[in-house]
Amino acid sequence: MKSLVHWVRQPGFLNALPVGVFLLVGFAGPLVLVLLYSFMPPKTFKLDQLPTLENYVSVVTQSYYISFGWSLTLAVVTVILLLIITYPIAYGMAKLFGKWATLVTILVALPLLISENIRLFGWVLLLLKNGIIDGSLQFLFGVSLSGLLYTVPAVVLGLVYVYLPFMLFPLVIGMSMVPDSLKEAASDLGASRLQIFWEVELPLSMPGILIGSLLVFILALGSLAESKILGGQVIVMIADDIESAFTFAQNWPKGSVLSVLLITLSLVIIFFLFRKIDLDRLVGRR
Amino acid sequence: MKSQRQRRIAHALIVVWTGAVLVFLYMPMLSVVLASFTKQRYFRFPVKAWDTRWYEKAFESLSVRDLFWTSFSVALLVTLISVVLAFFGALAFARYDWKGRKLYQRLILLPIFFPQAVLGLALLLWFSSLGITTSWQTAVFAHMIWILPIVTLIMSIQVYSFDPVWEEAAYDLGASRLQVLREITLPILAPGIISGAIFAFLLSWGNFPLSLFTTGADQTIPEWLYAKMVSGYTPMVPTLGSLTMGGAAGFLLVAFVVMIVIRRVKQGKSNQLR
Amino acid sequence: MNEGQLDFLELRGITKRFGDFTALADVNLSISEGEFFTLVGPSGSGKTTLIRILVGMDSPTGGEISLNGNVINDVPANRRPTCMVFQNLALFPHKTVGQNVEFAMKIAGVAPATRRERANELLELLRLPADFYSKRINQCSGGERQRIALARALAFDPEILFFDEPLSALDYRLRKTLEKELKDIHRETGKTFVYITHSLEEAMVMSDRIGILNHGHLIQIGSPDDIYNRPCNKFVAQFMGEVNTLEVVRAAEGRVRHVDSDASFEIISDVNDFESGFLIIRPEVMKIGRAAAELPNQIQGVLFNDYALGSRVQYQVRSEDGESHWLVERLQDDPFAASPGQSVTIGWRPEDSILVTS
Repeated sequence: MKSLVHWVRQPGFLNALPVGVFLLVGFAGPLVLVLLYSFMPPKTFKLDQLPTLENYVSVVTQSYYISFGWSLTLAVVTVILLLIITYPIAYGMAKLFGKWATLVTILVALPLLISENIRLFGWVLLLLKNGIIDGSLQFLFGVSLSGLLYTVPAVVLGLVYVYLPFMLFPLVIGMSMVPDSLKEAASDLGASRLQIFWEVELPLSMPGILIGSLLVFILALGSLAESKILGGQVIVMIADDIESAFTFAQNWPKGSVLSVLLITLSLVIIFFLFRKIDLDRLVGRR
Repeated sequence: MKSQRQRRIAHALIVVWTGAVLVFLYMPMLSVVLASFTKQRYFRFPVKAWDTRWYEKAFESLSVRDLFWTSFSVALLVTLISVVLAFFGALAFARYDWKGRKLYQRLILLPIFFPQAVLGLALLLWFSSLGITTSWQTAVFAHMIWILPIVTLIMSIQVYSFDPVWEEAAYDLGASRLQVLREITLPILAPGIISGAIFAFLLSWGNFPLSLFTTGADQTIPEWLYAKMVSGYTPMVPTLGSLTMGGAAGFLLVAFVVMIVIRRVKQGKSNQLR
Repeated sequence: MNEGQLDFLELRGITKRFGDFTALADVNLSISEGEFFTLVGPSGSGKTTLIRILVGMDSPTGGEISLNGNVINDVPANRRPTCMVFQNLALFPHKTVGQNVEFAMKIAGVAPATRRERANELLELLRLPADFYSKRINQCSGGERQRIALARALAFDPEILFFDEPLSALDYRLRKTLEKELKDIHRETGKTFVYITHSLEEAMVMSDRIGILNHGHLIQIGSPDDIYNRPCNKFVAQFMGEVNTLEVVRAAEGRVRHVDSDASFEIISDVNDFESGFLIIRPEVMKIGRAAAELPNQIQGVLFNDYALGSRVQYQVRSEDGESHWLVERLQDDPFAASPGQSVTIGWRPEDSILVTS
């Protein structure tokens, strides 16, 4: 009891209290509620029924694996594409650009402050039939590319576009933690350029690669706007299904089950992510 | 010398590639601005006739004014509350060494990585179970779940470089706890607090997935844009989109200028005292 | 010194425990007004804990501190008429040099004009040019920052000024200069200085008296001369630098026997109440070569290596069986010629050795 009082009196704990209580009420509370609802009989709006696994069974037996499959596939594709796209830029920012790296950082970060759906709408305008790309091609070459919008590649484009900074920044941090002297030492010991990359640079920048990949993966997994705005009806992602279960279908327990599945998957990844990073070092650069 | 040349070519390629990706990042936003100035009712490229009448309409429209005030009120309240709470949250995150800190650091980041649409729906469930009618006020609460951790993280960066010994020194030189806060802690942490406030405002201003499920009958600009986007094209979408982007850019610019002016005034003051 | 009151600052039985760990054990000490007192101890000896208790940043588990006759245990740091120069100086980064110096006066409500006048006086006292007043802290060098920190503390007009190893981060030469400057400032201001450091050498230069702290115990208090020439135990003797330490037991009247080599040495200390302990011989009192030939205590050995120390040369000599190592120092210009591998004689006078029991 005495040690509890002692623990509560720590200045750190007292300062953490406001944020902690807020997130307990606003974050943990709703999640527990969702978990509870997932055990209620279908289409109930109260928690006074006997718990049942009925919803879990129905979700597994119904065709929800399709939307889960799309979400997982698109998330993996997004991660791979972003790794390829951002790796050279991250290398440039960590090793080549010098003071210009700050400018690139700001330029990449600024769009994050603009509403996601405005930026995606810009892609609609670009990809639209008679839109900027199609219209330009018609005007210049007389060729039409009208079927760009509302396709799976358009959704991937949206995901890659929106989550690019979340891959780039961890890569940059990861790479700037690799001292140049190591590369010089390796080359001094007779390693070729490819060997240096494979044996020194890649393993040492692995934490950044891992953090960026996992981050993009969970963000893409739970994404909603990209498939709705750029995909039209061509595919349904898991967040779509959750939304319609809660809203159109008015089936809270089913929506809860789907949420619980998505949340569990995300939490497993986040847990893995947290084991890999030292926040004090990452945020404080100590 | 061949490898030297190869390296130079590789470096040039990286620069070109970075430039191309930056263009890729800004192209959609430019497209929106471009579309907002067209005369036609339906967007066609190349644009044949330019016009600013959609802006005139937007400024005259009462519903646009409502949208603006809802978005603005939400963002302002979110900013004010988040900055105060995150100030203490950041001290717990980066300054004090306490039992439970590592866990706290991780738990507080969970909402940032959480799928926002699912969070919005969970909050909708939460509000209706508690018998709370959703409105722009509940959206303030919802935004904060996501924004408060981000602001805490941003302020923590500044707090990490804060040395508590400065406070001890001031206290030792006779300052009271309140004087230490006013003279030492707040001024040194000010840049972090201001950056936190800027992020809080802009992220709330542009947020869509959380607003979608938690504003009830009220509507923010991003929500309205989304509704129009999926239900059919109207030239008001790029117009209002450009206006919100312009608003965000203007806000950033003002914040930047204010920060520079504050720095100048501070330096001027110390020069005057000479 | 010592014109002021004798028991100006008094510590009676100061004890500090953190859980099961005892950081300070029954520390008793009295410091007189105007004195320059230095507490010396290795890291973990409790010196930082002690100084934090003295300035009021920490409170003792037991014991009493009194200043000028008044017990100040419960007076918080901001109400104590003392202040500290911190190890990393803790200069406020967002304030100019002038604003830093004026801080205590601003808090005390002194008028701006008076503040500025006093700040400029202090800058002058500390040999800082007047244009430093409006400089930013990050424009100042390490040595300049030391002076600013001292000026800021002096502006508070404290009754006692505490120093928590402020010079430890500086390079050797700058440290040597500032040690002397600090002693000059002490003389000019006449204030009571209490300084802590891990370097006995630094303490020797500046202090009127020195206290040696180890594992939370104050083991010896005395003048620099006492500490150097009459250390109370092996720990204090070894603290100043490399010494020859021999484990010995009592042999005959006026003699001790070296436990490792069975050799016996003449001493002048009264050995009546001595059973076993250590014989300490500083390298600079050891003689080598012809100078050792006449001495009562002699050892035959092989010169292993020599090291130049500027004005002196240090030799490492190993006994012929290779079991014991000896350090000898002599002045550079003293004629002596031997190269490593050669046999040499080393020796010392009985009155140059120190006998301690623990």
